[in-house]
Amino acid sequence: MDDSKGGSSFAVHISPEQVQRFCEFLYRRTGMSFAESKRYFIDRRLDDRIAATGSSSFQEYFSLLRTDADQEIEHLINSFTVNETYFYREEHQLRCMTTSLLDAIVRQKKPGAPIRIWSIPCSTGEEPYSIALWLMENWPQVDSYNIEIVGSDIDTRALKAAAEGIYGDRALMRLSRDIIGRYFRPVTGGNHQIDEGLRNSIEFTRANLIDTKDMTQYRDFDLIFCRNVLIYFDDASRRLAAENLYDCLRPGGYICLGHSESMSRISPLFRVSRFPDAIVYQRPEADHG
Amino acid sequence: MPLIKGKTGGAGGGSDAQQGALDSPDADSRWTAARALTGQADAVPALAAALSREPISRVREAMMTALIRIGNAASIEVILPYLRSQDASVRAAAIEALQALPDAIAPFMTPLLNDGDSDVRLLATELARNMEAAEATRLLCELIEREHHPNVCAAAIDVLTEVGTPEALPTLERCAARFAATPFLPFAVSVAMSRISGEES
Repeated sequence: MDDSKGGSSFAVHISPEQVQRFCEFLYRRTGMSFAESKRYFIDRRLDDRIAATGSSSFQEYFSLLRTDADQEIEHLINSFTVNETYFYREEHQLRCMTTSLLDAIVRQKKPGAPIRIWSIPCSTGEEPYSIALWLMENWPQVDSYNIEIVGSDIDTRALKAAAEGIYGDRALMRLSRDIIGRYFRPVTGGNHQIDEGLRNSIEFTRANLIDTKDMTQYRDFDLIFCRNVLIYFDDASRRLAAENLYDCLRPGGYICLGHSESMSRISPLFRVSRFPDAIVYQRPEADHG
Repeated sequence: MPLIKGKTGGAGGGSDAQQGALDSPDADSRWTAARALTGQADAVPALAAALSREPISRVREAMMTALIRIGNAASIEVILPYLRSQDASVRAAAIEALQALPDAIAPFMTPLLNDGDSDVRLLATELARNMEAAEATRLLCELIEREHHPNVCAAAIDVLTEVGTPEALPTLERCAARFAATPFLPFAVSVAMSRISGEES
């Protein structure tokens, strides 16, 4: 898809009815929902995508979108979401981990058994490092358990960057100066590199969520962070990914999705678990018919 | 340092499961077998037989997914009868599975939309939602023109509201006139027509 031929100066008329039609499709396909107050935001992005695809009308663009020609759904989602990742993103889920989830997890643990946490996709490492930092800073029992954190992604370049652990100011914008001072060291270009001990404590691996064979090497996780990736998949791939994730979790384990994603819309395999800080999904302990 | 390096490769994967394992008395073994057979076309008969007797919903899901990933006519023929199930969750699982196969389901749409059971026709309208717009519009308009059950028409109109092309407008107008005494249908038609034409109703 050549995005260069488009631009914000290219505009077609989009009626309120067409915006509504678009929003209903977007919600059904991705779970993303926008209030009427976001009309300008929607119009702007729709306008950009219509221009970028060379469509001459909303109808033409909508038809292209529905058939996912040239992976337009991925382009559209990217235009509607914050693509950049940063430390402590969706902090409420990290808080949920230390205020609710880990307590439930350790109640089921045998003495000495490790707690296993998986970040997939982990991109350039901000999420798994955030999990580690958050645990060190916010979970009083952190020294009482062996905690294994695995970060996986399909993109080996991202994994290499994750292992190096070098970040710019934008990635660190949610961290306090104190945390940056204690866990990072300045490197060239105004960047910061995360503490070597933390880098060495996280296993970075390549994994494809919809490759069942590939996923068989990932088992027995207590908690999985799988945020903002399932919205990109078609129905068949989402089902497969959900089943793969189910197999990767221990019975009773939890999975955190992105804020616009709902496992209930993808698969009945998981149970909704509501905690004060977040809604997460749990692999049931046992089958109930 | 309480954080220790994580390991991959935990409790085995079961990728070597055989079709015979679908008969296992153990649900986890059947689940693993169904997952291992995902996408294997020669497993359709075994999956079909296993699905027909499977009591555990998550194992049925895995069998459905295996059939979806095969995605051929044979696998669709296995799923179709579940549209007639008395169990709503089974019907829903079947419709979700078939919706994931918009291209492969196309040859089955005309018979489904002509089925003698209005519940099947109603469910089948939902399968058009993921189809190419022109073909979905043609199929749903043909249905609406001959359909006497208002709920089936309403279901078709709801799908057209999202996917319909302007070719649907004359059919929708006739539908509203034909069901003028059923107030919700003319209303649904007016919403669909405004969305399709891009004009306010």
